Amino acid sequence: MVVVLFGVSVLMFSILMSFSPERRAVAYATSAKQIKEIPILVAKYGLDDPYHIQYIRWITQIFKGNFGYSTVASSPTLDAIIKYLPTTIELNLFSMPIIITLGIWLGTIAGIHRDTFIDHTTRIAAIVGWSLPTFLFALILLMIFYSQFQLFPPEVISDHIDDFISDNPDKFIQYTGMYVIDGLLNRNFEVVADALKHLVLPVVTQVTVVIAILVRVMRSSMLEEISKDYVITAKAKGVDINTIHQKHVKKNALLPAITISGWLVCLSIEGSVTVEFIFNRAGLGLLLVKAATQLDIPVVLAISLLLGLIYVVANLIIDVLYAVIDPRIRLN
Amino acid sequence: MTHILDIKDLVTNFYTYEGVVKALNKVSFHVNHGSTFGLVGESGCGKSVTVRSIMQIVQSPGVIEGGEIHFSPDSDNGETGIDLLKQTERFMQDLRGNKISMIFQEPNAALNPIMTIGEQIAESYVFHRKNQIIEKILGLDRTGENLFPKVSANPLFLPLYHLALHRPDAFLLELIKKVPFLRNWDRAVLHTAIEKSVELLATLGIPNPDKIVHQYPHNLSGGMKQRVVIAIALASEPVLLIADEATSNLDVTVQAQILDLLKDLKKKNIISSILLITHDLGVVNETCDRVGVMYAGNLCEVGKVTDLFENPKHPYTKALLDSVPKIRQIGDLKSIAGNVPNLVNPPLGCRFHPRCGHAMAKCKEVFPEMTIVDDDHEVACYLYH
Amino acid sequence: METKVEHPRLKELKFTLYRIFRNPSAIIGIILLAAFTLVALFAPHIAPPKYKHRPYMMPHKGYSMEPKAPSQQNFFGTTSGQYDIFYGVVWGTRTAFRIGIIVVLTAFVIGASFGIIAGYYGGWIDEIIMRVVDVFFAVPFTILAMAFVVRFGRGLDQIMIAMVLVVWRRYARVMRAGVLSVRNEDYILAAKSMGVSDIKIMLRHIFPNAVYPVMVIAFMDAGSIVITAAFLSFIGLGAPIGYADWGQMLAMARNYIVGPVGEPLKYWYTIFFPGSAMILFVLAWNLFGDAIRDAFDPKLRRK
Repeated sequence: MVVVLFGVSVLMFSILMSFSPERRAVAYATSAKQIKEIPILVAKYGLDDPYHIQYIRWITQIFKGNFGYSTVASSPTLDAIIKYLPTTIELNLFSMPIIITLGIWLGTIAGIHRDTFIDHTTRIAAIVGWSLPTFLFALILLMIFYSQFQLFPPEVISDHIDDFISDNPDKFIQYTGMYVIDGLLNRNFEVVADALKHLVLPVVTQVTVVIAILVRVMRSSMLEEISKDYVITAKAKGVDINTIHQKHVKKNALLPAITISGWLVCLSIEGSVTVEFIFNRAGLGLLLVKAATQLDIPVVLAISLLLGLIYVVANLIIDVLYAVIDPRIRLN
Repeated sequence: MTHILDIKDLVTNFYTYEGVVKALNKVSFHVNHGSTFGLVGESGCGKSVTVRSIMQIVQSPGVIEGGEIHFSPDSDNGETGIDLLKQTERFMQDLRGNKISMIFQEPNAALNPIMTIGEQIAESYVFHRKNQIIEKILGLDRTGENLFPKVSANPLFLPLYHLALHRPDAFLLELIKKVPFLRNWDRAVLHTAIEKSVELLATLGIPNPDKIVHQYPHNLSGGMKQRVVIAIALASEPVLLIADEATSNLDVTVQAQILDLLKDLKKKNIISSILLITHDLGVVNETCDRVGVMYAGNLCEVGKVTDLFENPKHPYTKALLDSVPKIRQIGDLKSIAGNVPNLVNPPLGCRFHPRCGHAMAKCKEVFPEMTIVDDDHEVACYLYH
Repeated sequence: METKVEHPRLKELKFTLYRIFRNPSAIIGIILLAAFTLVALFAPHIAPPKYKHRPYMMPHKGYSMEPKAPSQQNFFGTTSGQYDIFYGVVWGTRTAFRIGIIVVLTAFVIGASFGIIAGYYGGWIDEIIMRVVDVFFAVPFTILAMAFVVRFGRGLDQIMIAMVLVVWRRYARVMRAGVLSVRNEDYILAAKSMGVSDIKIMLRHIFPNAVYPVMVIAFMDAGSIVITAAFLSFIGLGAPIGYADWGQMLAMARNYIVGPVGEPLKYWYTIFFPGSAMILFVLAWNLFGDAIRDAFDPKLRRK
């Protein structure tokens, strides 16, 4: 795991190193003022030195929290990431539970009722969901529910609420930066309702796009488990078919579903990028897209590093989860 | 006299891409009360399909297409018993694992890898003895027999136990199953059943049963797993035990132990009738009273083990017996020429005729009916018509 | 009775085809793919290019920002900047095929080679290659591709290179798993003992027996790569404005999803035509890939 993180940092550093010293100096800058004094930065950080020496210098800066200066956000990269992060977390806080419960449920019933109407419908829905380009789906949702019905607006929060919050820092304390949670903590339900209204379409988009793969894996592992011998043992015991499916088959079928959850995390991250860009939500994804289109190197590299870290941590959690559910792993 | 199991003209087909596999072609035989019946034949001849048809657990794409399976659990009852093929799935559920149980070939695969041994044995009790367990929990034990150990339940849930006893289909019980935390209200039933499983494992001679119930299948050896599978089958004291190649995949020493266990259980009257499936004629000789020989979905010959082994009639039975090595083997072992037929396009008439040295013209046209050649000895061959 | 003995691979292929054609969604997929192929092949006849030397640039009349509805001249209407949507959709099919096939093929060659080498030689070679693959897997597809695009700069060729640099990782991993499962088969050991060279064993014996799972993924990827490319074009990293590329056309339409007051869906055609083309294209590959996977899956095929 540490090896992977090290590898990601080397990969990102290599991308950085392929730029000229003058261009990669921004990755070391800490303020807007320094950006204007590139030659000083080049000299200070020895950007003409050999690769490995520069790598050590760079990674030291990273550990000190200096990810360079972002021209897109006009602030140090780390500050920008901290500012944009809550919006992304809020989106996934809502979409993830729906994806997991709904995905497992749909996959299970599709597997149980193989080759029936339910199965075909779920399968086709899953494959269409998988084929739908996220950004296009989000655009269509916006066209219908915002443009036509004026129901669910883009962005994170309505302007008048935003004004209220920034005008009254004493009445509305921003504990987390997530409007729904802050609203609940401040007992301001107008904010909660407004933030939820802004969350509906993004969450729907994210769920539709990410859920397909879970449904598909769950379905095929249900099919595989249903044909195993222990199912016959249970049948011969006199266990009814519902209990067999729910208690015996489903639990075993969950194991492959857990192994792909690392992939689900990746898909959710990609989904968040698209969703935030289309719905203009000020989250990490939007920051990343802006940075990429304006070739803001520090932000893109920092976010990639952060995602590498998230991926590694997610995989650790998955391993633990796997061991909890599968007794065969627990012992080894 | 009635038989515990009386099978007539059982037909089961499998609908696959290659075509219809005619796995069972009018199989008829019966199992006497209190006896052990052996069903022998090469692999793929339809032994397993026969017993799975009896239990009605044939897996898709298999379909039972005809015949009768009469089952009479009581020996003194003069009637022909119930035809299992005419019963509902609900009825069969109550019957499986309760009146008829089954043990399987591959103990590694037959157990659910992520449930403890205790939970898997307990399921038998939970499904077939739930009322007795609840009565015990509520202290309503009317029979006076000490079937189950006493386990105390959370007093809050006692009304629910009463409800479950008197109106098991009550809407409230269905509803509560959907509520997290509350849905495990009947945990005391499971605990009672697991306590009972410990007792059962002890009677099967398993050391440390109280530890074993909390372990998972992968913790146990093959022989132990097979004992657990037997324990699951015996939990509800069935009148008929079906053993589907129960010893074939075990080491020879373990195989002997399991066979001894089965014999011992029979001697102690824990099980009365056994239907034993095997390809090992030695096992049949040692354990069975009567035996049926199957070939390619047909039953060739049925009779008492002593008769059939000393005086085989059907050419296939003879060939089969000749192909078994003996301790004092004289001359070469004889193998049967030719191959087992493909059951999608089985040979017309007697399915053994292409490999039979005595084949006549009519063997190739019409299947020979069973004819009685001796007292309790039937054979399906034109040589004896 | 003499029965004709078929070659086992031929028999399996027949069975596979039977499985594919028994599946109605596969047939839809194949028909869609065939239709797109025809459109791509005959693009110059369906929509004759205005600029002969730059056929991928969409012709436009005028510079008015307001899209115009479908008419006799422009079957699908025009987008902002008066680019002809019909022309863009037709030539965009070519772009989509080009992106999907080139990226998948290149990544397939790279990934499968690394996968075979890692799986066949094992040891430290395997260790190094698979660690590198792990590193590439740690960052999600689109984001890693974006990081590479930041290096290479904007443009269609640039995003294709960036995607190849990311996509190969999966082929390498799946290919290696396949190789490991056949590496110790008797026929491989037999070939080795006869002194067949490593390269020949890898190409003649291991590759054909381990390639199916990779092929299935490749079919599915041909669709999803077009989505990613479209998204990169959509955010402005890929094809330039006016280029016949569905993602780029959708980017031009983005500002028109909200119509004027009273007519909220006035400019529906700017999204609808390129959007439908893209969805159907991806769907076609996925249906096809799904059927292939079902047909090749040894666990499911015989039921």
